[in-house]
Order: sequence, then structure tokens, then C-alpha cells
Amino acid sequence: MDSQMMTGNLAAAWGVRLADVDYIPAFPITPQTEIVEALAKWCEGGELAARFVTMDSEHSMMTAAGAAEATGARVFTATSSQGLLYAFEVLYSVSGWRAPLVLVNVSRALAAPITLESDHNDVLAARDSGFLQIHAETCQEVLDSILMAYRIAEDERVMLPVIVNLDGFSLSFTREPVSLPDPEQVQKFLPPFRPAHLGFKASAPHALGVAVLGGTPYAYFRHQQHLASINALEVHREAAASFEQLFGRRYDLVEGYRLDDAEDVLVITNASASAGKAAVDAAREEGKRVGLLRLRMIRPWPADAIRGALRGRRAVAVLDQNLAPGQGGILFQEIAASLYHEAERPRALCSFIGGLGGQNLSVGEFRAIFEQTAKAGVSGKGIGPVLLYTQAEHREMTQLQMVAAGTQRANGL
Amino acid sequence: MYAVRFHGRGGQGAKTASRILGTAAFLSGYLAQDSPIYGAERRGAPVAAFTRFGREPIRERGGITHPDLVVVADASLIGDPAARISDGITEQTILFINSPLYAEQIRTQSKLPGRITTLGVTEIALQHFGQREAISALLGAVAARLAGLQQEPLRQAIARELGDLGLAPPIIERNQTVALTCYESVQVMERESVAEPANIATTFHTPVYESPSRGTARISATGNSVLRETGGWRTFRPVLVADKCNGCWLCFVYCPDGVISMNKDDRPVVDYAHCKGCQICVHECPTHALVAEREQEGRVAWTAR
Repeated sequence: MDSQMMTGNLAAAWGVRLADVDYIPAFPITPQTEIVEALAKWCEGGELAARFVTMDSEHSMMTAAGAAEATGARVFTATSSQGLLYAFEVLYSVSGWRAPLVLVNVSRALAAPITLESDHNDVLAARDSGFLQIHAETCQEVLDSILMAYRIAEDERVMLPVIVNLDGFSLSFTREPVSLPDPEQVQKFLPPFRPAHLGFKASAPHALGVAVLGGTPYAYFRHQQHLASINALEVHREAAASFEQLFGRRYDLVEGYRLDDAEDVLVITNASASAGKAAVDAAREEGKRVGLLRLRMIRPWPADAIRGALRGRRAVAVLDQNLAPGQGGILFQEIAASLYHEAERPRALCSFIGGLGGQNLSVGEFRAIFEQTAKAGVSGKGIGPVLLYTQAEHREMTQLQMVAAGTQRANGL
Repeated sequence: MYAVRFHGRGGQGAKTASRILGTAAFLSGYLAQDSPIYGAERRGAPVAAFTRFGREPIRERGGITHPDLVVVADASLIGDPAARISDGITEQTILFINSPLYAEQIRTQSKLPGRITTLGVTEIALQHFGQREAISALLGAVAARLAGLQQEPLRQAIARELGDLGLAPPIIERNQTVALTCYESVQVMERESVAEPANIATTFHTPVYESPSRGTARISATGNSVLRETGGWRTFRPVLVADKCNGCWLCFVYCPDGVISMNKDDRPVVDYAHCKGCQICVHECPTHALVAEREQEGRVAWTAR
């Protein structure tokens, strides 16, 4: 095992290289471009025996990726934000074809207004597309998740494409030590892709995604997709066990942090979980019994694992790094639905919206989340959606508005 | 509530007929509803449309599973299982078939339950308009008569619906005139209430996962489109006048369905089980060696599925 400093993007590229993919259709978009640049270099240099093709848009890119996968090739592609949305209709086709490619999404908040930094409205928009979704916290997890994604996707019990998500900037351009798995071990973990239902032979043509009118066959195929996705929960467990055996690192559907005797639990995803864990440690120092639950697999939704981690708690706070305007936090709704029938469900559920478009999540904000959640747990009355916005942020914004309106004098405010 | 289901082929005007009936019922003071269903929207492919009307608010939507009246715009659809003409038909259902044959002949050939009445509407359309497609007003009129609606709301309904399609007033007037002829000509049958089937308990099958080879929307059987015969879509068939043919192969080139093959003497051979009767070959033939002949019921094309 060889450890080296690398960005989340380079870790993603290494995952793809180790997975020995056959075909990479690409289109650049910040903050993803570094991934396909690294892959292009390796394809040119012969380190990776894959065909690399630059496409004219993400829509074409996703179409090419799905079509190539349908021929039986192992395919990788990557995008972000508006690019994911531009590819959107094709996502549903690819999952309907049961074409198990892997797509990396580097989360970036959606326009308008335009920005480059991260939140999860892009990847969560695809939550109903039939793609599985794995959300990573560290650069190491990005690499490892890509290997696991191929293993799970290509399993006969699943055969669905996977999105591996990493946060723009806070992972994509952030370097930290990453251990590179041994290629021979990877071959043991990831057998060659030999799908029975896909492939290309001129003598045996087949049609995928054909028209089915009247509802009955459509419902059948949709049910199959759902059952395949649900199967991925078990297949993930098996893959995680095998991965741990070969590489010594363990990834579960959800990750609990200091949950053992926690009264209140913060639910969080992706790279912000690191700051959340630090906040848990700080609160624990002060004697507060708090813990953290990081959702790693978002699709299929690991309802049992979530219930198992949250049952019997006093209060649960969900920190959504996304906003469904007019509704609130996307993951809050799903957590609430999962807990409704739980006999020992927490006394209060609290919804917080923070970290939009790379907005800072400060130590003070985590502290406030824990305080408000504890209070809600005592009163038995949940709160939210609470739009996290500090006084300092408000001052900064007011100043910007004055500049924009031309009301700021030359000598200051 | 009175429920009417129209069956036709794309381009014949089954949808417009259902709208004419819906508007006629509406203008008669009923609460009414009409809707079509179609798939690939190809000329000749089976389509259906539905009209409901009554004194009470209509709670049903979508396809009519237990029709009081079924209007079949094209008799060749009877043999097409994809058209599903017999769905929900009981002895009480009135079936109107657009056919010059007698009702008894249709009954013997088709073995359909229900009370059958016929009229050769296509012949009437060809006679008056020189077009086989222009039968929507005529079918609407037949349906209005069988459904017990009066002439005046029917006249107005035809004007509104054909006006919406952009037809010129003189053409609309001719449609009204010919439609009223059909209204008078069709043999009327007593309306009998079609009993709604008693509520049958639904049993569920719990979906189970199947291998992707089965559970993916995928067709791996090759060349199976030959199984779907489309010869029944024709009103006219292309027929070769052999001594006029110069063997230029243009018909072969232009045929959009690949149903023309050339024999060793460079003469076209038409696969009538699949020729849809678009007549492109007839129009393209430079020596007029291909001519259009009206299909007759009971002949090859008519029985083709």
C-alpha cells in the first residue's frame, strides 16, 4: 500500500484507472475537469487501456456512456452541476437499460445565480433517476467508492448505474493522503464485466428501452428497477466485507460517529461530515451526549440502517446542504418518512439548511444546531426548516447589496 | 352515463368523431367528456377514442372498459388483437361497423358478441369527397344517432370540430349534409343499459426480482417485425400492370417499409401482408405501371393482421 497526497479529483481518476475501464466519454466542467484531464493523459500515455472521447455536451456524453455500456464495455464518465442537469433525461434511459456504468458527480450548486462551490441540489435532483448514489466524505473514500460502485453496479442482482458524489472544492481540489490499492488486489475485488443481458454482436442485434404502451409492461420494468436498487443494499454489504478483507478499509451504508450513548444525533452527508465530527468531539468535551450519522448510500435509501441508528434518540437534527424551495431540506423529508412508523422514534426532528453554494459551516453553527436540537428534544417539538445564516454573513450580504445598488459611499458605510 | 368507444386507424378521424359526439352531447345539455389514446401516431396504426355523456358528473376517465356503443371505423381492425375491439363487449353492447357488408355477415365472420349494425361509410366518403380519410363527421353522425342525440346539435358539433381543424366552410357544409345522410341511413337499435360488472375482488401479485435478461425492456429476437402484419392498414393496394413496367426499380427505392422486392426480371413483387397502402410507389412510378386498387373485404389484405 502506497500512500500519497492527492486531490479528490485525482483520487477519482485513480479509482477509474484501477477499475480498468474500457471507455470514457468526457465533457469538461468545473470542478470536475481535473478528473477527465488525468484520465485523458493516462489514456494517451498508455497507462490506461481505455478509449477516451471528448463529446459536444453532457447530453451526448451520457448518451455515449450508456450506449457503450450497453455493448458490454465498462464505462466511466464524470460531470457536475448544470452538466448533470443537461444530461438528465439520459440518466433515466441508462438506468432503464440496466447499463451499470459509474458516473462521478462533483457537487456544485445550481444556477441561477451561478456559483462554483458545493451543495447537493445537483446530485439530489437525480435521486429518482434509478442511479444508485454513494456520497463520499474523504478523498480516500472517493477512490474506494468507485471500485465498490463497479462491483455493486455490475452484480446480476443489481445491474444499475451508480453516481459517486464528491463535494466540489472541499474534496475535488483538496489534497490529502490517499492509499492506492494494489492493482492485483483490485482485480480480485472487481471481476471482469460479463453482462448476460448486454453486449454487441452484429449477428445478434437487440433493442433496448423499447416502447411499451398500456402501463402493464412499463410498471413491470419499473418494479424491476426498484427491486434491483433495493438488492444493492445487500450487495453493498457483501462488497464492503470483501473490500475490508482485501484493503483493510470498511464502508457501510451509513456511518455512525460516537453514537453509542448519544441522546441527540446530527444527520449529515459528504465532506461536511468531517466538520460535523469535529463539532461532535467539541460538544462531547462539554459533556453533551451527541453523535453523528453520515449517510453514505442515498440510493437505495438505507431505511433500516437509518432507523437502527436513530431509534430511541431524544432528538435528531438533519443538516441539509440543499434546499427544495417551498419545501425545505430534501433529506429531512426522507429521514422523517423513515422514522414515522418507528415505535421508538425520536421525540423531535429538526431541519437545518446550511452550506449552500459553499457557504461556510462554522463551529458556532454546529454548536447552535446541537443546542436547538437538545431544546427541541426536551420540549418534544421539532423545528425547521431553519435557514442557517449568521449575523456576520448577513453583514457581508448587506454590504454587497449596498455596493450593487451604488449606495456605498467612497469613505465607507 | 352513456359510454362510446371508437376504434379506427390513424388518419381516419376516430378522435374527431369522438369529439363531434362529445360536443353534440354537450350542446344537447349533457355533461360530456371525450379523449383519444394513441401510441406511435402513425397513419394506419390502430387508435381508439372515448366519449362519455350523461346527466350526472362523470367520474371515470381514460379508456372505456364497458362500452354501451362501439364504433369501428375500419372493419379490418376486427381481426387485429392489438385493436382490442371486443374488450368489455356484452350482448347488450351496440357495435357499429363501417362496412358495406350486412350485419349478419360480420357477425358470422367475426363471432363478436353484441348487437351489430353496419353502413359502408368509406364508400359514402369516397363517393362524396373522393377521400377515404374524410369519415370523422360521418362516424360522429352514426354514433350520435345510435346514442340517441338529435340532428341539430350534431350539425353544430360538426361545424365546431371541423372548423377547429381549419376546414373551409363549404367543405364543412358538405360534411354536414353527408353526415346527416348517414345519420338517417344507419339502422337504429334500442339502447339497452349495459350492466356494470359487480365489483370483483382484486388479488395482487408481489413483484419479485428477475434476472436483467428478463427484467430489462429489451428485445433480442431478431426479425420479429415480420410477425406483425400491417396489410390490413390498406384501403388501396398497389397493383402492377406488368407490360407498363420498365424495370427501373424506383418503387423498390421509394417504398418506406421495404415491402417491395424485385424478381429476376426486374419486376416489383409486393409483400401484401406488410404493405400499408401508402401509395408512394404508385405516385413515384414513372410509367404508371403501379395502380391503386380499392381493397375489398374478405380478400387477402382484409384478413391480414
